[in-house]
Amino acid sequence: MKKKIKGFAILVFLFTVQIFFAQEKTISGIVSDGSGPIPGANVVVKGTSNGVQTDFDGKYKIKAKTGDVLIISYVGMKDQPITVGNASTVNVKMQEAGEELKEVVVVTALGVKKSARAIGYATQEVKAADITRGNNNSLSGALQGKLAGVQITPSSGAPGASSQIVIRGARSFTGNNSPLYVIDGMPVASQPDFSTGNGVTGSDIANRAVDIDPNEIESINVLKGQAASALYGLRASNGVIVITTKSGKNSGQNGKPIITFNTSTSFETISKKPSTQNEYAQGSNGKFNPNASTNWGPKISELPNDPTYGGNVANVLNGGVLKPGKYYVPQRVKAGLDPWVTPRAYNNINDFFNTGITINNSLNISQSTEKTNYSFGIGTSKQDGIIPETGMNRYTAKAVVDTKLNNEWKTGFSFNYIQTKINKSTSANDGAIVGVFAAPRSYDLKGIGYANPANPYDQIYYRPSVFNNPYWAANNNEFSEKTNRAFGNTYIQYSPIISSDGNQKLTVKYQVGVDSWTTNYRNIFEFGNKLDLSGQSSSANLFGTTNDVINSLFTLNYNLNITKDINLNVLVGNEYNHQNTKEYDEVGTAFNFGGWPTIANARTITAEEYRRQIRTVGFFSNIELSFKNMLFLSGTIRKDIASNMPRGNRDFIYPSASLGFVVTELEGLKENSFLSYAKLRGSIAQVGQAGNYIGNYYTTPSYGGGFWSGQPIQYPLGGISSYISNNVQYDPNLKPQNTKSYEVGADLKFFNNRVGIEYTFSKQNSTDQIFSVPLAGSTGASSLVTNGGKMRNDVHELTLMLNPVRTKDFNWILNANFSKIDSYVEALANGVDNIFLGGFVTPQLRASVGDRFPVIYGTGYARDAQNNIIVDAQGLPIADGELKVLGEVAPKFTLGGSTQFAYKRISLGAVVDWKNGGKIYSGSNNLMSYYGVDARTADRTSEFVFPGVKEDGAPNDIVRGGASDPNAQQQLQAALNGIAESAVFDASFVKLREVTLGYQFPKLLNNSVDLRTSVFARNILLWSKMPNLDPEATQGNNNFSGGFEQWSMPQTKSIGFGMNFTF
Amino acid sequence: MKNIKIAITALVTLFLFQSCSEDKMDEINKNVNNPTDMASRLIITDVMVNSAFTVTGSDASFYAGIYSELNAGNHNQMYNAQVRRAEPQLSSTYNNGWNNSYEQIKTLRIIIDKCTVGEEKGNYQTLGIAQILLAYNLAVLTDLYGDVPYEEAGKSGIIFQPKVDKQEAIYQDIFAKLNEGIANLKKATTYSSLGNQDLIYSGNSAKWIKAANGLLARYTMRLSLRKADYQGVINYVNASFTNADDELKFINANVPNPYARFQLDRGAICVSKSFYSTMIANGPADVRTNTFFTKIGGVVVPFDNSKEDLEGQGIYSISALMSEKNPIYLLSYHELLFLKAEAEARLGLPQAQTTMNAAIKASYTKKQVITFTAIQADSYIASIGTLTGDELLKKIMLEKHISFYENEGIECYNDIRRLQAMGNGNFIPMVNAQPELFPLRFAYGQSDVASNSYIKDLYGDGSYVYKENVWWAGGTR
Repeated sequence: MKKKIKGFAILVFLFTVQIFFAQEKTISGIVSDGSGPIPGANVVVKGTSNGVQTDFDGKYKIKAKTGDVLIISYVGMKDQPITVGNASTVNVKMQEAGEELKEVVVVTALGVKKSARAIGYATQEVKAADITRGNNNSLSGALQGKLAGVQITPSSGAPGASSQIVIRGARSFTGNNSPLYVIDGMPVASQPDFSTGNGVTGSDIANRAVDIDPNEIESINVLKGQAASALYGLRASNGVIVITTKSGKNSGQNGKPIITFNTSTSFETISKKPSTQNEYAQGSNGKFNPNASTNWGPKISELPNDPTYGGNVANVLNGGVLKPGKYYVPQRVKAGLDPWVTPRAYNNINDFFNTGITINNSLNISQSTEKTNYSFGIGTSKQDGIIPETGMNRYTAKAVVDTKLNNEWKTGFSFNYIQTKINKSTSANDGAIVGVFAAPRSYDLKGIGYANPANPYDQIYYRPSVFNNPYWAANNNEFSEKTNRAFGNTYIQYSPIISSDGNQKLTVKYQVGVDSWTTNYRNIFEFGNKLDLSGQSSSANLFGTTNDVINSLFTLNYNLNITKDINLNVLVGNEYNHQNTKEYDEVGTAFNFGGWPTIANARTITAEEYRRQIRTVGFFSNIELSFKNMLFLSGTIRKDIASNMPRGNRDFIYPSASLGFVVTELEGLKENSFLSYAKLRGSIAQVGQAGNYIGNYYTTPSYGGGFWSGQPIQYPLGGISSYISNNVQYDPNLKPQNTKSYEVGADLKFFNNRVGIEYTFSKQNSTDQIFSVPLAGSTGASSLVTNGGKMRNDVHELTLMLNPVRTKDFNWILNANFSKIDSYVEALANGVDNIFLGGFVTPQLRASVGDRFPVIYGTGYARDAQNNIIVDAQGLPIADGELKVLGEVAPKFTLGGSTQFAYKRISLGAVVDWKNGGKIYSGSNNLMSYYGVDARTADRTSEFVFPGVKEDGAPNDIVRGGASDPNAQQQLQAALNGIAESAVFDASFVKLREVTLGYQFPKLLNNSVDLRTSVFARNILLWSKMPNLDPEATQGNNNFSGGFEQWSMPQTKSIGFGMNFTF
Repeated sequence: MKNIKIAITALVTLFLFQSCSEDKMDEINKNVNNPTDMASRLIITDVMVNSAFTVTGSDASFYAGIYSELNAGNHNQMYNAQVRRAEPQLSSTYNNGWNNSYEQIKTLRIIIDKCTVGEEKGNYQTLGIAQILLAYNLAVLTDLYGDVPYEEAGKSGIIFQPKVDKQEAIYQDIFAKLNEGIANLKKATTYSSLGNQDLIYSGNSAKWIKAANGLLARYTMRLSLRKADYQGVINYVNASFTNADDELKFINANVPNPYARFQLDRGAICVSKSFYSTMIANGPADVRTNTFFTKIGGVVVPFDNSKEDLEGQGIYSISALMSEKNPIYLLSYHELLFLKAEAEARLGLPQAQTTMNAAIKASYTKKQVITFTAIQADSYIASIGTLTGDELLKKIMLEKHISFYENEGIECYNDIRRLQAMGNGNFIPMVNAQPELFPLRFAYGQSDVASNSYIKDLYGDGSYVYKENVWWAGGTR
């Protein structure tokens, strides 16, 4: 308590001391630039909170005393310090900040800061403002459309949904393709702890990047190429995302603490809603059936005439007492309602989805004093999803402190604590929304209710078995995960003065950090699941993981000015990384009764534990030579020793080299106003990726998969155990996979930096991929973990920056990021043409030789030699016997564009994302048509001839449909349902990712508060080729994601508002 | 100061090099979760569970039951198989079962290896049982798929594309393995009995010997078209089960009957109209007809399998015998008696009908949750009257067909194909509207079609399943 009071007193003191001893006079003047006076420029007395803004004529008046320094600042201009002398009128001519762009500092591997001009490879930076402008609480979402050469694939719009970030294409078929995340110099986990596997059951599993609060980020640097990341060794083959969190360094140049409070609230709705037919009722072949999954019954208006269920005709159900205009719905009896209702079409989709609400708050205090700077922040993000009972709560707290002990020694720490809790829903085979999107148009899903009033576990539903009422599932089943995580590091840095003339510099730094997290997952299928009141279909699966990763990093940096023009920089170091993982998996099946959904209520319980350690030790060096600020040559080498490889194949060496040439430093090109800056760069690098070798072993047999829900058999069987040889085998000669990359590029700036173009072409050849090579079943094993295969990535990245208008009132910036990423599978292991990534038996996603990665694979139309679809004697298409490639998932190119207008205090921004090409399999679209719900099945009376040829090769002339053939449309959809190709769609889309309108208030509350308010919208406009659904909602949290959809959680659009206070 | 720095640097360096030596890394990478070797008694248990639940009772039996019209498929894959919509010729359809069968073969080879040349040399009981189980698994495999990889199969890590063996050669080995198994089970061994690890016979070698003889009877009958040996069948039957307690079946409180579990998980199999008609044709004396099937609104609603009836769940009658507690029959006592009856009838022996009657009684009284009495059986048997010649043979086969209800689908399917090959295709009424799409065999598994060029060549576009008989049914492959 005493300490707290003391701290508070100091704070109060710090606030007040700055306005205490002023002996002031009034200074006035006009701030202008080349084109005239500047209104709204800030004039601040350095070291105080005393500041004003210039008026419409650029005039200002401020009180200051002789010797004070006035800092005049304005967007896009260089800060101008003016020391107050005797004169009381000080006119200031400001200069554009363009020149400063040359001195942009980028954070490179191992957190080493370098001048942008000094690097020979491409990196791209995203600033805090660009990340947080749209108030997206998901980092990957906030980055969409803002990076070139980076593919961001969200799984859905559900709270906490996993997403994949892949830089410059994939290098691994089934292994890790996501970049290394480094936060404040410490590598941290970003991947999911558990894979969603085939992606066709259960719920999504979040990846650990979900723990990052975008509000805490100062900047992100994406090290795209292998040369950029080579110093990180084994873990760097997929690029690195270097995140610098907010610290006190850049804040409070006045020396006072700065408090910022950001709050935003947004409202989410489904981004694209399926359109349905509204005329036909539940049933099949034109006949009403209240238990049918299909919607091929009579017209809804005809239901009262149904001989069995109609109220217009005498039948058993009405006992001869007519109920004119009504019909009988048996489910209503179970619900205790009058079974006789007037038929109509219901809006089951609108009824089901909620308006999601997201509230983000973050509070940060930071200060920079002469020796110490710090930043403390807390944040909360509370999100309710559009599907009932889904949501996310995230709490973050962090502290960053740096302090100079003396001129030579420096120390500091960074600490983060995060708690994330996510409630999810299920998709694909366990799909919850199948009953919403595919509900018969005549069935009143919400109105009838979902459970027997006398027994909440006895579902009421239009399907009699196996599938859950979505409301019941939302209220009774649980899919949740909760993470507690702490990560941080501390360092000590020693920079002795080793030369009096400053020609030699030495810095020794030791940093040690830990990333520790525990996540517990609960997957509960409550008693009554799948309408099974025996309890057999209910289960509790409790699983989780506890991890701690220790990372120790020692670096020694020596800098020598050999001559005035030649500089040498040498970095050597060592890194030690050790991960401890413990997982548990408890499965309890068949609850005894409802309402107690925990494992103690299960009739069969099994448990397993899994422990694993992985250690990587690396030694590295980087040597850089620069000449005259013009030529920069750099080389790195790193040796890694990894525990998770077989003995004798554990250590590997990876080199890289890069060259940067700033052409505009050449005499004759200097100070050119057309070409302000030009750099050519090239690099070459080689890095690898370790496997996860464990060797062959015996394991408890498992009976899940195939036709079975859950595990029909669980060992031990009444006290009897058994073990069989694992069906995945390991190659004892496993070696690391290898990626060689080449990169060339140019950075150009024109017209005093008003136009910037950066272009990079890179080529990566990845060989010896480590993956589970699928074996012929007759070998007795399913796969062999070995090296095999080749992949090639050709990547074009182009970023364009335009600043077409820059006046004192109006600033307009345009950015565009173009990416063309082609990852070709050149070879797989011997005799393997393609490998499974996820999905069903058909369709599924595969890596297929000769095709871009990945492909949709499955049952196609039977076609003749001319590629015509063959129809059968009924005039309907038939399936090809062989499974084949049905389309490539990867787009032809992506183009992200953003623009910012600033007019005086108002700013308007927008981000647009265009994905061109690529295919997606949509199981929902397939089934919505098959069930007869989709608007595409609305026409059931017209005659049609399916385009194709008959088996004899003649063009198809078999007319189907019409009055004499009323069930033709249903038969056609049934035939198409067996042909996966019929549900493969073009995944192209254009999305308005973000629109923000901001207003910066004049200083409030006696100049002590800055307030910026904004309204924003995300994903509000969507144009896509695929019907009914947003193509950015797919299955899987692994390499499978992005190309396969089956009752996936829908995407969302949001509208909201935010306020940022700065005190 | 400087000394301290040097000391720290030296210590750090020492620590680092020790922290990444090969031995240290081996220790870190040790598999602490799974054993690298296992005693055969702990391996063989799952071979039994798997042989029953997966090999015999699951996918293969469901599809075979639909093809032989023992059941009908009313939903999804089963419906597609029912109406012959691509499913029967796709390599993906049977992939799970195919892969599973070879995991069984691989596991059994490991056991046989351990007990012959390995560290458990002389463990004759486990060896004998493993040989019988290998013969059983192999027979299911070749009966369904015809020529299949065998000699080179189950050797993952050594042979990646196993060659295909002829069914005739595989059958020779099936007989050899059964005879070796019997011989080994008769040998004295110092190893203790399998006891509770044997979930079928609790380590009773005598019962395994009977089971092996029963299998010899079944497979001898199977080859009747190629090499009839009906007296051999009778001899083997006589050396086999003497009552239903001996039969080769699997029953365990922790293993659900897959047919019942399939109904719970998928709800995709229902009563076929042709099977229901067969039952009705037995007349009112056969009380099974009224008990076998569930009723909807008081009547049995079968799937009309003579046409593409409606697809839907919960709209047709299903088996009323269904229970997760029912046994899974690998070789039932009733089947054994029907084998003997058929052999006797084919030899024209006078006791054939008596044997058939005993078989019908065994079928009535099989020990399931819902069962029938010997008295009920007797009154039905009395209604049959005396039959001779083809009439008798047909009745034997028809009653055998009924005795396979609800889920002895594989043997049912094998019999139908054998009868068709032997010119007795009319014995069991089949009504599917597309007889040209009766699958004569299962299509090879997708994993081999994709990764084994020998199989890929044989598979082609999969249409061979409608055209080519297996070897014992008169085909070439």
